Amino acid sequence: MTTKKILLSILLIGSFFSCGDYLDIVPDKIATIENAFANKNEAEKYLMTCYSYIPAHHEHTGNVGLMGADELWAYYPGSDFDPWMIARGQQNTNDPYMNYWEGRRGGRALYNALRDCNIFLENVEDTNKVPDLTSTMRQRWIGEVKFLKAYYHFLLFRMYGPIVIVDKNIAIDAPPLEMQKKRSSVDEVVNYIAGLLDEAYEYLPQEVTNKTEELGRITKPIALTLKAKLLVTAASPLFNGNSDYADFTDKEGVHLFNAEYDQNKWLKAAEACYDAIESCKLNNIQLYTFKSNDRLSDTTKIQMSIRNSIGEKWNNELIWGLSGRAVNNLQSVCMARIDPANLGNMWAAQERLNPTIEIANNFYTDNGVPLNEDKTWDYSGRYTSQVAGTQERFNLAEGYVTAKLNYHRENRYYANLAFDGSVWYMQNSRSGSDENTFTVKARMGQPQAKLGAYNYSVTGYWPKKLISWKFVLSSNSSTTEWFPWPELRLADLYLLYAEALNESDQTIAALEWIDLVRERAGLKGVNESWTTYSTKPDKFKTKAGLREIIQQERTIELAFEGQRFWDLRRWKTAATVLNQKIHGWDIDQEVPEAYYRPKVLFDQEFVAPRDYLWPLREESLYYNKSLVQNPGW
Amino acid sequence: MRKAQCIRFGSLFKTCILISLLMLFPFHLFAVNGINETSEELQQRIAVKGIVKDESDLPLAGVTVLVKGTTNATMTSTNGEYTLKNVPVEAVLVYSFIGMQTAEVEVKHQTSIDVVLKEDAVKMDDVVVVAFGTQKKESMISSISTVSPGDLKVPSSNLTTALAGRLAGIIAYQRSGEPGKDNADFFIRGVTTFGYKKDPLILIDGIESTSTDLSRLQPDDIQAFSILKDATATALYGARGANGVIQITTKEGKEGPLKVSVRFENSWSSNTSDIELADPITFMQMANEATRTRNPQEALPYSYEKIERTRQGLNPYVYPANDWREMLMKNTAYNPRLNVNISGGGGIGRYYVAASYNKDNGNLKMDKRNNFNNNINLETYQLRSNINLDLTKTTQAIVRLSGTFDDYTGPIDGGEAMYKKIMGTNPVLFPAYYPSSLQPQANHILFGNATRGVEGAGTSADYTNPYAEMVKGYTDYSRSQMDATIELKQDLRFITQGLNVRAMFNTSRYSYYSISRKYNPYYYAVGSYDKLTDSYTIAQINEKDNPTEYLDYNENSKDISSAVYIEAALSYNRQFNEKHDLGGLLVFQRREKLEANRGDLQKSLPYRNQGLSGRFTYAYDNRYMAEFNFGYNGSERFYKTNRYGFFPAVGAGWSVSNEKFWKPVSKIVSKLKFKATYGLVGNDAIGSEDDRFFYLSNVNMNDGGKSYSFGENFQYGKNGISISRYENRDIGWEKSYKSNFGMELGLFNDFEFQIDYFTEKRTNILMDRSVSPSMGLSAKVRANVGEAKAKGVDMSLDYKKMLPKNYWVQARGNFTYAHSEFLKYEEPEYNEKYRSHIGQSLNQQYGLIAERLFIDEYDVANSPRQTWSEYGPGDIKYVDMNGDGVITDADMVPIGYPTVPEIVYGFGFSAGNNRVDFSMFFQGSARSSFWINAQDTSPFDHKSPDDYNPYHRDVPLIKAYADNHWSESNRNIYALWPRLSPTLVRNNTDPRNTWFMRNGAFLRLKSVEVGYTFPEHMLRKLHVSSLRAYASGTNLLLFSGFNLWDIEMGGNGLGYPIQRVINLGVQVNF
Repeated sequence: MTTKKILLSILLIGSFFSCGDYLDIVPDKIATIENAFANKNEAEKYLMTCYSYIPAHHEHTGNVGLMGADELWAYYPGSDFDPWMIARGQQNTNDPYMNYWEGRRGGRALYNALRDCNIFLENVEDTNKVPDLTSTMRQRWIGEVKFLKAYYHFLLFRMYGPIVIVDKNIAIDAPPLEMQKKRSSVDEVVNYIAGLLDEAYEYLPQEVTNKTEELGRITKPIALTLKAKLLVTAASPLFNGNSDYADFTDKEGVHLFNAEYDQNKWLKAAEACYDAIESCKLNNIQLYTFKSNDRLSDTTKIQMSIRNSIGEKWNNELIWGLSGRAVNNLQSVCMARIDPANLGNMWAAQERLNPTIEIANNFYTDNGVPLNEDKTWDYSGRYTSQVAGTQERFNLAEGYVTAKLNYHRENRYYANLAFDGSVWYMQNSRSGSDENTFTVKARMGQPQAKLGAYNYSVTGYWPKKLISWKFVLSSNSSTTEWFPWPELRLADLYLLYAEALNESDQTIAALEWIDLVRERAGLKGVNESWTTYSTKPDKFKTKAGLREIIQQERTIELAFEGQRFWDLRRWKTAATVLNQKIHGWDIDQEVPEAYYRPKVLFDQEFVAPRDYLWPLREESLYYNKSLVQNPGW
Repeated sequence: MRKAQCIRFGSLFKTCILISLLMLFPFHLFAVNGINETSEELQQRIAVKGIVKDESDLPLAGVTVLVKGTTNATMTSTNGEYTLKNVPVEAVLVYSFIGMQTAEVEVKHQTSIDVVLKEDAVKMDDVVVVAFGTQKKESMISSISTVSPGDLKVPSSNLTTALAGRLAGIIAYQRSGEPGKDNADFFIRGVTTFGYKKDPLILIDGIESTSTDLSRLQPDDIQAFSILKDATATALYGARGANGVIQITTKEGKEGPLKVSVRFENSWSSNTSDIELADPITFMQMANEATRTRNPQEALPYSYEKIERTRQGLNPYVYPANDWREMLMKNTAYNPRLNVNISGGGGIGRYYVAASYNKDNGNLKMDKRNNFNNNINLETYQLRSNINLDLTKTTQAIVRLSGTFDDYTGPIDGGEAMYKKIMGTNPVLFPAYYPSSLQPQANHILFGNATRGVEGAGTSADYTNPYAEMVKGYTDYSRSQMDATIELKQDLRFITQGLNVRAMFNTSRYSYYSISRKYNPYYYAVGSYDKLTDSYTIAQINEKDNPTEYLDYNENSKDISSAVYIEAALSYNRQFNEKHDLGGLLVFQRREKLEANRGDLQKSLPYRNQGLSGRFTYAYDNRYMAEFNFGYNGSERFYKTNRYGFFPAVGAGWSVSNEKFWKPVSKIVSKLKFKATYGLVGNDAIGSEDDRFFYLSNVNMNDGGKSYSFGENFQYGKNGISISRYENRDIGWEKSYKSNFGMELGLFNDFEFQIDYFTEKRTNILMDRSVSPSMGLSAKVRANVGEAKAKGVDMSLDYKKMLPKNYWVQARGNFTYAHSEFLKYEEPEYNEKYRSHIGQSLNQQYGLIAERLFIDEYDVANSPRQTWSEYGPGDIKYVDMNGDGVITDADMVPIGYPTVPEIVYGFGFSAGNNRVDFSMFFQGSARSSFWINAQDTSPFDHKSPDDYNPYHRDVPLIKAYADNHWSESNRNIYALWPRLSPTLVRNNTDPRNTWFMRNGAFLRLKSVEVGYTFPEHMLRKLHVSSLRAYASGTNLLLFSGFNLWDIEMGGNGLGYPIQRVINLGVQVNF
């Protein structure tokens, strides 16, 4: 009897083992990509995904322009910033630095960005999807993502030249050959991006009205300015008739570079610049000038105009500020320990990015001409020193001995740089004004001298410009006023226009736009400055002379904004400029005579034409058999 | 904290109560039998006496004599005599003794019964635990290794450390000695997969378990331990058996009077070897050298004055020279272990109940300045209760309950992390603490620290002060694993003889939580120092970190999971005409596991599998054997069409020694058997464990990494959406085709030799496809495209001999060789043939061939360019294998042996008589390579430029590096360490290369044991039936070609060292 009971129970247990869908455990409503476009709220997240690939241009580790050339230096060993490795000649094919093709070594995966942009467009352009999205909003989003798609292509183009264009996504299960897309020629790439920007323009709003929530989103002036930049880049010597790449073909023998110089490209570029400037005018975008605070001297006000054109958030010169890339950490990384009350705070004032003597020497004299051209400036005695007097008190620490090099320089020199003997006005100035304010005294034994083996300026310069005047150093921390990274600003556009006009043989028209920028910096126009003070008074009258002036003006005006790195490449001057020694002051010295001796920090090597374009990673060439490596790599 | 100590004792007390309760339970149960007995009181009772002897006519002491079905029992004396009163005249007496076959004799009114007991050796080996059952060893044809549980008794609370070299077929090694985290890695016949699960399936009493469960198992509780290696042995486990199976059954109670066995051990553990560091003066000098040799213009990190004053031993607070290890670590840790088990039974049931308590201490010093003990203290309790109940004559119910409980207190981040902090701190920058007299008003310890790059007091505490790390707080964790199983067995002989049905239900619950309590230390640095008066002041430097004088607490991770397993089996075993042995088995099983903290919807879904398996065996006359097995399994990871897999296996065997023609030589060759098996086993543990469902895409609808923000104050932001897996409905089972050819050979009844040759072919291995980066895919595309094969040999040799005068000797050796190779591998068509993985071991490493160190700048300039970082004279020069003038990944060739040893072996012997025994066991491994972890051991600074974490480490200088490195004055291009550098030189440390490659072969004296068994006459008064005291040691000697640290730790030299243990123990049976 009991046996039967047991048997029955066993059978009963057995009946639990009813098979069927025991292994089908996945419930319905698991998130799929369809959910992303089910309503506006979710789709907006995908819009964020499209924006999220914008590189970390607000960080020295994410913006190759900051440390990749000769503007900013650091101590070594101990500063293995990926972008800086390019300046130090470490670029390679094994695992390239700042690899934006694949998203390695400091680079972002821009092809992933393009895939996401395309997924977004495929879905949002379909009006059956995201049903609660109004058509105006839909238009705008499409415009934004088309712009981003163009922007990511542009970033790739700027680095790699001929790139793989991704207009439509290729299916994951497509045959391997279809996935291995080849590179398009430079002209095709440029035309494609320009076309995309034109499309985006149609969809974009002129201006952001809801500033609280939408500042930083794409508008018409942004699209036009990027197009101007694209076309100027495409018209520049690197891409316009560059004979170095005359034999650069893909595996089917198609030329990837057009070796014929085309003057027309400059005309188109100038047109694009004009359109962009006009569009900016509509939004009242103009060169920034500092207005508040009556207690400041005129000198300081000019310098604040220069500094705040970057450091004041959402100032009216900004065309495209990267709201998702607001500058915070970089300020601390660049800051000097200027507050006498908190001299030991190396944690918040890290002093890790240091301008080189090379960039410092680019800034003009107070007459607005280069150091070695100014008839009135003691070029040969520049390393000797003298005591700063009262008249220099807004620029130089009164009564302090500093190099003659630091005297009689244009306001942008003092606004951009801090150095041994310089004055550094900040909003929290103890005196409440620019009198008796913070100073930098950096020779050994002085308050701002190198403290130890880390966090010090290796050159004796600090990039004042990158730090907001509202940055506050306390005893063991800091407060930072964040500002959006200035991806595109008006001064940049003016100078691009000037360049395009000059190259299109409209020299006189070009001067107007340079002078606007110089005026804000407190300088006289090119004509007046050169004619009066330069040893080469006619320089600006030739196309080549004015080109040189424009190039130096760009270097000065856009210093530490990550522009020079790209300019030197498109001008094809990198092979000269970046093949020189990098210098800093002899910072371990106490007396001025010993301190003001340029010390070689590094001997730069730029291999042309190899280094003009990025290498593709060796391994990735195996994954895509139709790719060719860039020349020289 | 005294209170904490009390709690510890309290919990010990609780354990005792629990043990007592458990002990009471069976007494209670079987007291019922007494009542039954009284009802038979009418029966006539007599006294029975006699002598029990063994086959060689020697009297046996300690033999249990029991009236069957009752608890009425006695034991024989030293001369083998016994007297048992109150025996019913029709009773049956049961004579049992360990190592002897149990004998049953009917009393039939006799008052004197002499018995001869036969040796049990044959019987112990007779039956082997196989998948879902047991098989007679004689007719077994699958490849299964077993080990006597006694051989697994090592003085460690971690059973996995005993596996290497004990069983043919196991590849094992131990990398860390930290209590609680010292599990050895082990594989059966090497590694032939590259999915996430490479280790075998572990079954404890048929229930899938983790290696931690295995590590906590008490050898005393193990009845049988076997590993299942070939296809016929593992096919029944279908989905999960591809990497082999470890099967353990725990003891069950045996009919008889109450037996109590107590084992108590004390062990002292210490590091097998301590890595030797350079002294503080050398450290500073070398740091200076490192700085200047890389950048002659750079300021020295340590002034000559500091070095000189430190050398003179002046003020130790201003010029500290710490030996952190000496300061914070003890040489030995003391660990007690207690194991108690009771067993017995009669009437309707049998019981086996065991409890154990282990305590593992770490070797951190306790500090009297602190009010809590920060040393690692891991207490493990185990309770196990196996009850067999005879419900009817043909029905048996088995209830198994077991619980394992770990209670831990220790340093905040655990022992390994603490050890690394101790071994990763600058010795000369700051003292552990300053005298409290400097700040009498402060109610905290004045810990030392320093600001990076600053001499004197700065504004941040940038270093790890290991002393502060140790005393600032502690972590408690608690882990419980509980298992409850009920099994019903029904003999269906009323239907047909030999038919059985069985059902099992098991559930296990796991929980883990961790809490830490700590304060934020106050750090100080010397502010000013007056050399003339030798007076100094200190200044607080970490104000911004908000130090505290009170404890804060943190709730750390919690882990909870539960599993339910059901199994039902129908089996049939019968012999016909004394020649035909027929067996059949059908098993249905189903398992579900839920994990509470998986952090992802898909991962939170239940883990399930189910399957139907079967085995059919046929043996003719114990000479010819044949077997067919199958597993039909489903896995929820695959799409419907690929979900189920059928995994069959066949085998055949021939016992030559059972043939008639063999008779003449059977005295010499007592056993000879050949066997062969072939079959298919599946594996669904492929890819990454996080990939739950290959057929579903995984979309993260809230990815913080894809966010962006807008607005005036950047405040309008949203997370983005990302895809981390694309759906793929084609992905299915990894398949393993295994074949095995074995031979068993017995010689002179003393030697037993077994050898198995095996091959394996794996197909459908999941691999990442290589896709053009311009596709922009955010997740890998994968397919079942890889193939691999493996082959190898495992063998064992046993020797057992009884010698005259109770002397005996045993020896055992075993050897495992397993080699794997890729057959198909998803890789591009490389220009360089050597880059291909085809034909290489699955654990083969690729790297650069380091030729030598660069001699000078000229040498650097005239050598191919190396692309990992800047480099110069004294850095490693690599060979340009493809001759393209650049050193890149394309120059990486297969270097060294695989990382998992291809050979693991062990051998040992034991000998003794009935008083003294001695045993010794060696274990070794060969054909493996390891790499000195150049990054972790690279001295001085390790701060990466993007590391904003203020706490970083200064790696100490290993003495061997200090003594033997390239320097400008001694340009030894074959020095042990390249040119010093204050930071990592990625050229040397990043690419895997031969410079830091070492041969992993070693042989170690794994264990030695001496035991003494006390004579019975000394014990009788104590009511003790046997008492053995023993001393043992593990990891006593090591032979290898590497001497920087214990070679078994591999490249992890600065990790928690493997322990050498000296152990004293007693085993008492009542």
